[in-house]
Amino acid sequence: MTVWFTLAFKYAVIAIVALSFGMWLGPVAGWAVLCAGLALLHVVHIGHLARLERWLRAPDPDRMPDPWGAWGIVFTAVYRALRRAAQERESVVKELELFTRAAQALPDGIAMLDSGDQLLWCNDTAAGHLGLQSARDAGLRITNIVRVPRLAAFLQGRQPEDTLEYRPAHHPGQLLSLKVIPFSDGRKLLVSFDITQIERADTTRRDFIANVSHELRTPLTVIHGFLEHMVAAPVLPAEQARRHLDLMVQQSDRMLKLVDDLLMLSRLEGGDSPRREERVDISAMLHALAQDAQALSQGKHQIDVIVDEDAAITGGNDELRSAFGNLVSNAVRYTPPGGRITLGWRKDAAGRGIFSVRDTGIGIAAEHIPRLTERFYRVDRGRSRETGGTGLGLAIVKHVLLRHQATLDIHSTPGAGSEFSIHFPPWRSIVDMPHLEADVA
Amino acid sequence: MATSEHTSKQFEADLEGIRSHVLQMGGLVEAQLGAAIDGLASGADEPISRVIDNERRVNGNEKEIDDAIVHVVARRQPAASDLRLIMGVSKIVTDLERIGDEAEKIARMARQIYGRGALSIPRSIDVRQTGEKASMMLRRVLDAMARLDTAEAERIIAEDKLIDTEFRAIVRQLITFMMEDPRTISTALDIMWAAKAIERIGDHAKNIAEQVIYIANGTDVRHGGSASETEKDAP
Repeated sequence: MTVWFTLAFKYAVIAIVALSFGMWLGPVAGWAVLCAGLALLHVVHIGHLARLERWLRAPDPDRMPDPWGAWGIVFTAVYRALRRAAQERESVVKELELFTRAAQALPDGIAMLDSGDQLLWCNDTAAGHLGLQSARDAGLRITNIVRVPRLAAFLQGRQPEDTLEYRPAHHPGQLLSLKVIPFSDGRKLLVSFDITQIERADTTRRDFIANVSHELRTPLTVIHGFLEHMVAAPVLPAEQARRHLDLMVQQSDRMLKLVDDLLMLSRLEGGDSPRREERVDISAMLHALAQDAQALSQGKHQIDVIVDEDAAITGGNDELRSAFGNLVSNAVRYTPPGGRITLGWRKDAAGRGIFSVRDTGIGIAAEHIPRLTERFYRVDRGRSRETGGTGLGLAIVKHVLLRHQATLDIHSTPGAGSEFSIHFPPWRSIVDMPHLEADVA
Repeated sequence: MATSEHTSKQFEADLEGIRSHVLQMGGLVEAQLGAAIDGLASGADEPISRVIDNERRVNGNEKEIDDAIVHVVARRQPAASDLRLIMGVSKIVTDLERIGDEAEKIARMARQIYGRGALSIPRSIDVRQTGEKASMMLRRVLDAMARLDTAEAERIIAEDKLIDTEFRAIVRQLITFMMEDPRTISTALDIMWAAKAIERIGDHAKNIAEQVIYIANGTDVRHGGSASETEKDAP
């Protein structure tokens, strides 16, 4: 029913009543009835209009007046329109929230800036990267907080590079890469990536290549020098020639050792040759290692072995031997004559097998310990080479342990000695129970 | 009507421009101080010469900001909080310029110390730590200025005493060194100058913090007044 129809009906009723009174009691009475009818209707309209106005001041859909007739139709239409608007608003808010959450979840920092570089919004990552307080700093110019001299020029696109590297003062050691992406009306997104790890990996790789080349070049220079000498003066006293050849053999040995270690390392890293899981007799291995150590030490150290005779774990025999051997030979090389080296094997309460090498050597300062397993990292360059180290020993140990889910623990006091221990996960321990086996058999 | 609105908008923009310029200068001074301390700690030549080269830029910034301030005062006759901002900023600029000078002094001392061929420098770790503390103080005070954060400014004022105490400890240790081995005297004196410069930087940072409080709520906390105390009196 339309508003027109309802209203027309009401006016028609009034007109008919007035007309019939007019015909019955004369024209004056007819006009009077018409006026009274129209006035009454008018009062009703005013009343509804007032209610509509009052309700619209605080449109609460539950407390909506519910009149009949034409006003009822109007009220229902207003109610529906309001309802629809509210629903739309709700869905927009939800969508906005969804987008905000998505932006918040991004692993990179996002800061939205207006055309004057004032902060509109940023996610928590950006707040952390740039030292912003996301709620508080909205409306602040970003260059007032991130006061890198180059940033202002960068934000205005006056820099030829499309990324800016930035080291935040509040996070020493962190390196960020900033990128500006304009979007609408001069607004822009400032995106920040944490490239600390990438940079570190880059440096490590560069250092590695430089180190390998250097390590190989040194012995090669020596060999080359002697060879040149031989070409220039082919006839030398036998004794001198002998000495030169000895040195050349020594240097080529070093190169071989280095290349062997490099190959081993790349094999361990590549992981393409599957390690055989086999029973490793720890006791036998430790005694054999102690013998090697005796040979290396030439009787200058006291070497002890503390091990249960039936200790055994599962793992790769050759790899573990090489890892343990590296630790033992380090202990011999870094312990002055007369020192004491102890090879130990024990099990802790959780059943973890622990191999340890303790020495009374020169020790390692605390700041070097976290970096010891880096390739070619040397606490004392001269000393390591002079004692025949390749600089790869502990890197090999680290990789072998990774393949055995084991961890390396280093305790050291400079001047007093060090203890290197390898902790194996409990499930690698083999518990031999001969009487049980006999029962089963 | 339209013109006055336009003028006041322009005025706002001028003030904001000055504020940003000061903070940009602050950023430059921060970088200078960081490089100077890096140079003092490592003896590397690159940061040291960078500080000495950039010193002119710091001075240039000071002049530009002063010019801008004179312009705004002459053309707009700022009042109330705008006037406070202008007054405070003009003092902050002076302090920043001085910090720049001190950073240059540290760099020159570093060059002198390492130029002498001294490899191990007595107390260098302490000096570096104090220097890092001062540079953190500068960073925080500039953050407080950007955010008009009076609570942070008050904390910074309280912390200046820490740097003073550390400076005195360094001096005492250096005296011991000099008494034990007179050959270290010239190096120790240079280190003392560098440490003194760091101590002065702490003082300047404190001054800036006081100006931040003045800009934000108009109370003068210099020479022992406390912002919170005066705030209570205010209606």
